[in-house]
Amino acid sequence: MISLNNVSKAFGGLTAVRDLSLSIAPGEIFGLVGPNGAGKTTTLRMMTGLLIPDTGQIRFGEYDIVREPLRAKASFGYVPDRPFLYEKLTARELLSFVASLYGVGRGPAIEASGRLLHLFGISDVGDELIEGFSQGMRQRLLFASALVHDPRALLIDEPFIGLDPFGIRTLKEIIRDLSSKGMSIFLATHSLHIAEEICHRVGFINKGVLVTIKAREELREIEGGLEGFFLRMG
Amino acid sequence: MLLMRPRFLSLKNSLTAGILLRRLPFIAIGAAFCWSLYLGMDYLLTFIRDAGFAGEIISESLFSMIFSGLFFFLILSGIVTSLSSFYMSADIRFFLSKPIPLTCVLRLKLSEALLDSSWMVLVFMPPVFIAYGLRYDAPALYYGIVAAGLAMVILIAGGIGAAAAHLLTRLFPARRSRDAFLGIALLLFVVLYFIFRSSLPAGPGDPEEMLNSFMRFRSDSRLLPGYWMTEAVFPVLRGLRPGLSGLAVLVGCSVFSLLAASLAGRYLFLRNIGRLQPSADVPGRSPLSRCFPRRWAALFYKDAIIFFRDTGQWSQILVIAALIAIYLHNLRSIPFDLLLAITPFVREVMLLVNMLMSGLILTAVAARFLFPLVSLEGEAFWVIRTAPVPAARLLWSKLVYGSIPVTVLITALVLAADVIMDIQGPLHWASLATSLMLCVSVSGLGIGMGAIYPKFRHAGIASVSVSMGSMAFMVIAFALVMATLALETWIYYLWETGRGAHTFTVAMSVCALTLVILLNGAAFFLPMKIGAERLYKFT
Repeated sequence: MISLNNVSKAFGGLTAVRDLSLSIAPGEIFGLVGPNGAGKTTTLRMMTGLLIPDTGQIRFGEYDIVREPLRAKASFGYVPDRPFLYEKLTARELLSFVASLYGVGRGPAIEASGRLLHLFGISDVGDELIEGFSQGMRQRLLFASALVHDPRALLIDEPFIGLDPFGIRTLKEIIRDLSSKGMSIFLATHSLHIAEEICHRVGFINKGVLVTIKAREELREIEGGLEGFFLRMG
Repeated sequence: MLLMRPRFLSLKNSLTAGILLRRLPFIAIGAAFCWSLYLGMDYLLTFIRDAGFAGEIISESLFSMIFSGLFFFLILSGIVTSLSSFYMSADIRFFLSKPIPLTCVLRLKLSEALLDSSWMVLVFMPPVFIAYGLRYDAPALYYGIVAAGLAMVILIAGGIGAAAAHLLTRLFPARRSRDAFLGIALLLFVVLYFIFRSSLPAGPGDPEEMLNSFMRFRSDSRLLPGYWMTEAVFPVLRGLRPGLSGLAVLVGCSVFSLLAASLAGRYLFLRNIGRLQPSADVPGRSPLSRCFPRRWAALFYKDAIIFFRDTGQWSQILVIAALIAIYLHNLRSIPFDLLLAITPFVREVMLLVNMLMSGLILTAVAARFLFPLVSLEGEAFWVIRTAPVPAARLLWSKLVYGSIPVTVLITALVLAADVIMDIQGPLHWASLATSLMLCVSVSGLGIGMGAIYPKFRHAGIASVSVSMGSMAFMVIAFALVMATLALETWIYYLWETGRGAHTFTVAMSVCALTLVILLNGAAFFLPMKIGAERLYKFT
């Protein structure tokens, strides 16, 4: 579903991502971990079309994010690491608005908004302005907005910021459920134990280079698990 | 000073050669504006002083009025910036959590508010005072006293603004007090204007009465810094010793004003901060709010909903409405019948002046409402940026959303002015067509330039509309208005005077009209095209 082929990006003299290649199958949860400044967010921003890669290709199914950005963007949902939303809209209005941007019809949009608000436990504040939301509620709303158009892939930057333990558990269950229904999920995170718990494969990136990719089974065999591997790699 | 370091260091770090080079066009536009301000003031002073004794009095009154006007502007600006600086800035909780005495934090925030509220005055007013100095052949002492006086006026107004901000926040939460303040400011402005307007004669028919009213205005304003400033400075312009009493009052008042701000801050700031919590407003449940229209209409609909919920946006319409009411009131009081006896072209001249004024209002309204439209997406812009929405569609949606009210407003203004001035026939239709064309081209220019110079991290619409990009837009938009009107006036002149052969007149008219259409077309399409290309490059 998602493939990156020899993707590179430099800012001035600094190479943020170098020759990155990977692919994510339908239904797979792929985690990208690495130290601060390793290139995780740059990779995600290129995947979402916020940055244009200097070289290489990023494809969602048959659509290239640079050549056919509108078709590619229509196929994924994105959850950024900072929960900036339209403060003067209500949660329900935001979901309707996002659904409209993706061309979802009125009936399905209303149905999806109600279902997702309930799924993420924020239906009771669905008609309140977002400006009064806590960080956890915003994070839940971000996820709902990323799923309102029923995408084939989900890109997530630091998924568990600001969530309480109940929120984290709910979200893990939702991610697993989406994956079981065939959605490809790419997440960039610092939370090693969560990546180890829910990802089918984990990629390690350091100084812009993808060092290795390990399957969940391989990680279990490594001494100290993912954390031990991460510390040795750093 | 330690607390100011982050700001100084940020400024130092942003002063790279690359950034300076990028801002060079803005600096050039600003310099050109200052130069034209100097030339205009110099011309006005020459014209006024040619009137002999009366001219001297008018010149002195004008000086006093400039400072009084500045004083009111600085107070209004001071309240808004103090509210932002003391109660809405991102670093306030950081400083309050550190072992720093409260007085230091208050001093820092007051300094920030003083700087933010007065930078435009400090940048754009020197040409006016230099014109006075050069026209009067003043000694160096004049410049020193004007600079010191201006600094004290800024301190007085800033102190009053900060104290008022603390008091207003005591009465309302910070965001609402800023909105309430806009209403108060508007009321104050209109009342002051009508008091001033009623103290002047309706027209230039009675020069003696006009002179008396200028003198009355000055003596009525003994409690304003403009009067003290004039008392201190004008003797120096005339080659005498400075008026020490005026200077002493300025110094005393600035100290008192700062003390008042400091006391208000000390007693109210922490109490006010404790009251500021985010509210969970539940807007009225409208069936429409759940049904967004599809695609680009959804962008339009979203902007409209946010506009009506964000009082910071719509409350400024009141200010514009007041300005237009004042303008039309002014126009109505001009004795056209009397002036027609002096020159037969008075209606045509007044029509041109009205079109220029409408162009100025269009430029100001567009800078306030159209230029910031893209930036108003703020940090939530990623929602659109990552959705399958082309940049061009976004800009066209903004254009439709912004240009309709602006076009209605300006066309209504031109129509009302035409009725007041009794303009009929081809001139009436030409004025309407011109205003429509300018509305469309200036709207495109505003939305396009707003996309070329977006500012997604901002503290509100006001901070976007006073950015460098906005200033550049205003200058370019007004230049477009002037060029359009100059070409059209030339066509009218050719036909009305009947000079030259008929074919020559026709050929020149066609050329001028083509140029008008090309200019407006370029002003509309080029920024929209470049804006659409550049917008998605910003991240």
